Amino acid sequence: MEKALWYLLTATRGGENRVRIIRTLSERPRNANRLADELDVGYKTIRHHLDVLESHGVIEAGGDKYGRLYFLTDHFEQYRDTFEEIATHLD
Amino acid sequence: MAMSTQILAASVLSGVNIVFLSALAAVWVRNYRTFRTSLVLGLLAFAVVMLVENAFALYFFFTMQSLYSGDPHVQQAVLVLRGLQLVAVAFLTYVTVR
Repeated sequence: MEKALWYLLTATRGGENRVRIIRTLSERPRNANRLADELDVGYKTIRHHLDVLESHGVIEAGGDKYGRLYFLTDHFEQYRDTFEEIATHLD
Repeated sequence: MAMSTQILAASVLSGVNIVFLSALAAVWVRNYRTFRTSLVLGLLAFAVVMLVENAFALYFFFTMQSLYSGDPHVQQAVLVLRGLQLVAVAFLTYVTVR
């Protein structure tokens, strides 16, 4: 997962927004609409990034279909240090 | 001497490679400004070298046709190599911009 995280977050076009999504979800779980509002990114873009992060096992969805909340996975938390190292570059 | 169809096709493929590689380089330049990681710098160097390689290929196709004109097998081999590079670069572009 470590190599995938590095590529997914620092080397792709949407990497910066993916870092911002993970940061926001680190505070507490949110649904796609809230993320779009808080990060000032289009809903469709947020949806796309959520799907990519989910398929890589970084986040998982819980709750009912509409307004599903997204959580960071336990698997991702094992690589928290890697994420923090990447995120410090963003400041 | 007129350019053979296969070398012309190889030139077009090189042109498309250059478009893809420019898109990749643009993403990586922007991300390097944001993240400053050696991973992105390495990827950027990769894209730049591949851009130079394709520029040289185009240069050879247009200026050294005597190199290729004698042998149709050489022309075919050149076309296959350009085509395979295009497939490789297209995959990398897809996973990078999506």
